[in-house]
Amino acid sequence: MFDLAVPRFDPCYYRAQFAIFAHHPDLVYLDNAATTQKPAAVLDAERQYYEYCNANVHRGAHRLAVAATDAFEGARATVARFINAASCDEIIFTRGTTEAINLIANTFGESPEQLSAGDEIIVSTLEHHANIVPWQMLAQRRGVLIKPLNLTTEGEIDLTHLAQLLASPRARLLAISHASNAIGSIQDIRAICQLAHQRDCKVLVDGAQAIAHLPVDVRALDCDFYVFSGHKAYGPTGIGAAYIRSDILRTLPPWQGGGEMIAVVSFSGTTYASPPQRLEAGTPPIAQAVGLAAALDWLSGLDREAMHAHESSLHRQLEDGLRQIPGVVIHGQARQKVSLTSMSFAPIHPYDVAQFLDNRGIAVRVGHHCAQPLIHSLGISGTLRASLALYNTADDVNRFLAALSETLEILA
Amino acid sequence: MNAISASSSTSLEPAASEHADPRFAHPFGNPGHANAIDLAELARQLDAAASWEAKNRLLVQLAKQLPDWSPEQKTPDRKVAGCESQVWLAFSPIKQAENNVSWQLAADSDSRIVKGLLALVLTAYNQRSDSGQFDFEAWLNERGMQRFLSASRGNGLRAITRTISEHWQNQPQPNRA
Ligand SMILES: Cc1ncc(COP(=O)(O)O)c(C=O)c1O
Repeated sequence: MFDLAVPRFDPCYYRAQFAIFAHHPDLVYLDNAATTQKPAAVLDAERQYYEYCNANVHRGAHRLAVAATDAFEGARATVARFINAASCDEIIFTRGTTEAINLIANTFGESPEQLSAGDEIIVSTLEHHANIVPWQMLAQRRGVLIKPLNLTTEGEIDLTHLAQLLASPRARLLAISHASNAIGSIQDIRAICQLAHQRDCKVLVDGAQAIAHLPVDVRALDCDFYVFSGHKAYGPTGIGAAYIRSDILRTLPPWQGGGEMIAVVSFSGTTYASPPQRLEAGTPPIAQAVGLAAALDWLSGLDREAMHAHESSLHRQLEDGLRQIPGVVIHGQARQKVSLTSMSFAPIHPYDVAQFLDNRGIAVRVGHHCAQPLIHSLGISGTLRASLALYNTADDVNRFLAALSETLEILA
Repeated sequence: MNAISASSSTSLEPAASEHADPRFAHPFGNPGHANAIDLAELARQLDAAASWEAKNRLLVQLAKQLPDWSPEQKTPDRKVAGCESQVWLAFSPIKQAENNVSWQLAADSDSRIVKGLLALVLTAYNQRSDSGQFDFEAWLNERGMQRFLSASRGNGLRAITRTISEHWQNQPQPNRA
């Protein structure tokens, strides 16, 4: 009998599109939250761009320049479609999540219309350093205050504490991740945006860990900013995007100065191009943008509900298996998690476990996952993180669980 | 293997096995210890461990012979910055022959594998009077231990050997102090 409730998704069909697994047939790659592998569609798109239409964009009166500009602006349209932005102009290309947040801190953060000294930026304590440090730097420059937002013991946002912080009339911005890279918690961004907007506080969502796994609709979420990296969603490194809602975007001052971002330059005064070009100085990462668009198109072509069911079922298998292994502590018990799990094995050091897993061809990450405030609040110095992607299989999870049991016995 | 002679010093006082501080009473590069281990012995064991798995298991075994420090001994000034795991190093002066001093080393880590590597480091540097001239990285390379010298991991190991050499260079010689 068929189980009609579970959509069919064959990870091996997709896995075959990733050359890295042909070159490393025994690899169990469970470090997807750090970066995902790249399918042929992405590698081919970048190569074809260079082979058929390489030129600089927005300049040059020749057919290659037009083709390159079309490819680049087409990529912007793909990103806009993928996250359901109202307009392509709301998408700014960046090097990744980190640069996108720095861009917002240096434009929104520097705009006197948006922030003045004494205003407050609420930052959740589970954020990646990329969503903490740029705000601390801004706080030093502009005299704004950072308000850390507490978590519940399960690793979700403490909504009572959020309400308290939002009660301040100076709360101007909430910086929060859609999904945590360290413990996987998915936040209810839509509800959080509603709360914040009632108090006239804007919301920046770090979507680095969500973009490959969850449907993202910036208009349904009703966030003001949404940022992500291409390389965590099967796309190239060196490219990411910031969605900035148009009414805010219009008010933002430029950030970096240079070519592409200007209207008229003269020594008596320079005027700037309108967004998005105003915020993209210099020659952009054109081939990478094309590669990112190929990745998002490739993802859109999958049955994403079936993909999500597959990832969730592997994740359940992983956590159920971990609960059977003595000495394993799982960190993060949020009701909704992306397909990653952080764990520790005190007194055994996660680094030692990772070495023995590596001996067996299993790739995981250990450390504080660039989320030191969170990891320290858990009372530990680091975890071992296993993170899944659509090409992982039940066999990958079984091999990981078996190797982990053996390793913990060796190290006991 | 000329490195061996460096650890076979004479007239050691106090003998490692009798060192008042139990952290220093380990066998690594301590000829006075009942089960003393020198670099030649370590080289033999590492060379016999053919796979990465075997090498890692050996490091874990070596770590067991290095005394655990108490929490009070793990002070920030003993900590080596720049390692993936926590590493603590301590030095105790040893008077050898006239005008010939060296240092007795002790170390601990919260990682077993790193602690095993520390056992190698201690064996290489313990009680040497030649200001830490020994090329530990070359020795590790000869043992096929390149993996521990790769960009991400090597930094931690280099931070440890650098701390030891700097100690040699910066500390007043104990018999002149
Ligand atoms: C939640 C989160 N935010 C931000 C980042 C930073 O992304 P990138 O290094 O691609 O800029 C990461 C990646 O590690 C992440 O997981």
